[in-house]
Amino acid sequence: MKERAIELTVNGITLNITVPVHQTLLDTLREQLGFTDTKYGCGSGECGACTVIIDGEDSLCSCMALASTLNGRNITTAAGLAEFGLNAVQQAFIDQTAVQCGFCTPGMVTKSTSLLRKNPNPTEEEIRKELEGNICRCTGYESIVKAVQQAAESFPEANSQWDNAVELKAGANS
Amino acid sequence: MSSRILPNFDLLVPNSTTEAVNLLAHYQERAAILAGGTDLIVAMKMNYESEILISVSELDGLDYIDFDPSSGLHIGAKATVAQILASAEVKQYYPALWQAANVFATPQIRTTATVIGNVLRGSPAGDTSCALLALGARIVLQSAEGIREVSIDDFWTGYNQNARHSNELAIELIVDAPQQSTGSAFKRMTRVNEDLAKLNGSVRLEMNGNICTSARIAMGCVGPTTLRLPKTEQLLINKEITPELLAQVADSVPTEISPIDDKRSTAEYRLMVSGVVIKRLIQQAATTAN
Repeated sequence: MKERAIELTVNGITLNITVPVHQTLLDTLREQLGFTDTKYGCGSGECGACTVIIDGEDSLCSCMALASTLNGRNITTAAGLAEFGLNAVQQAFIDQTAVQCGFCTPGMVTKSTSLLRKNPNPTEEEIRKELEGNICRCTGYESIVKAVQQAAESFPEANSQWDNAVELKAGANS
Repeated sequence: MSSRILPNFDLLVPNSTTEAVNLLAHYQERAAILAGGTDLIVAMKMNYESEILISVSELDGLDYIDFDPSSGLHIGAKATVAQILASAEVKQYYPALWQAANVFATPQIRTTATVIGNVLRGSPAGDTSCALLALGARIVLQSAEGIREVSIDDFWTGYNQNARHSNELAIELIVDAPQQSTGSAFKRMTRVNEDLAKLNGSVRLEMNGNICTSARIAMGCVGPTTLRLPKTEQLLINKEITPELLAQVADSVPTEISPIDDKRSTAEYRLMVSGVVIKRLIQQAATTAN
């Protein structure tokens, strides 16, 4: 087959869509569904700009996954993390001025959120190891690590509601 | 060629292993098998073309990592490198494999890359594949005709080539259960972790007190495939691990490898560090064995 009908949940919305079988998840998100917050960087899984969260806590490079093989899966992009106001990681990136040109930021935010969902109290070494696949061309790594540390401090518990719980606690965007 | 757009192909998504091997029997070398895609998708963006891709995404029950004290470790075809890292049993009983998974590419790639895919790719720079060579894994291949097992010693037949027939689906890796005094270790020389190895190595030892009774030594990035070093292994058999023996080992290692200059390192550097890497791996493996 050249096209495939799949069910894909993106940022909490379940969609029934038909995708060309050779289309990467990145292009399905950007070109077909308009989630342009997910960035195209290297196209070969080295830079992490296209990182999205899959099935709640794992992260993958959407440039190397075919949407046609992700039937039934659940994808969260950086925009999806801000559905009810900025999540703790996003707010921390602002507070720590961890954004320079901003191109790597959506990938950094999704990767960091994935990290904190799995490991709410990471050491600096663990943060650096987990962010190894995300390259910042502005080389602003110090502030990015600080932002993840700040987000970890306001991270109340390891459950799927934590983004919203942090929002309520911090009173952001209220 | 584009780093963004893939060439056209037909996608087939079988629902069972039987259906998958029947499709392979029909299409043979016209089809490539897609699992994690971290090698295949990148290759297709660069220079590789396949008329048909058969995705294993909807084959159920192949994403297991099971350990049994008698039958050993069973790694299903869809088990990822991240799953290896999350397995307490792999960490305890197969430290070489766990250590290789720990430095394997990036977290995003570990999420999707399969262990069996790393073996099938047959890159001489493969990390988990290097550890699995030292551990003496077996690859289980299924076709419409039946199932066969191939020792990893016989699996890689050349650079990026392996013994899988085009009608076969690799369904499982098996690693024998360790003995009470088995130790193993893996080490990789690299610039930053994300890079491919300049050189990697892995050692599995069986010890009786301070005496080594059995040894398997694997080294990558020093030949067309990841290599075993049989002459060096023989030096260890029925010997006590002493500084003198380790010095002999370090001298022997460079005589068994044939590294080249490439963009990640030079033959000279690889020859120089190879002996030290294996020496340290033997010390580490011997420590975990006792």
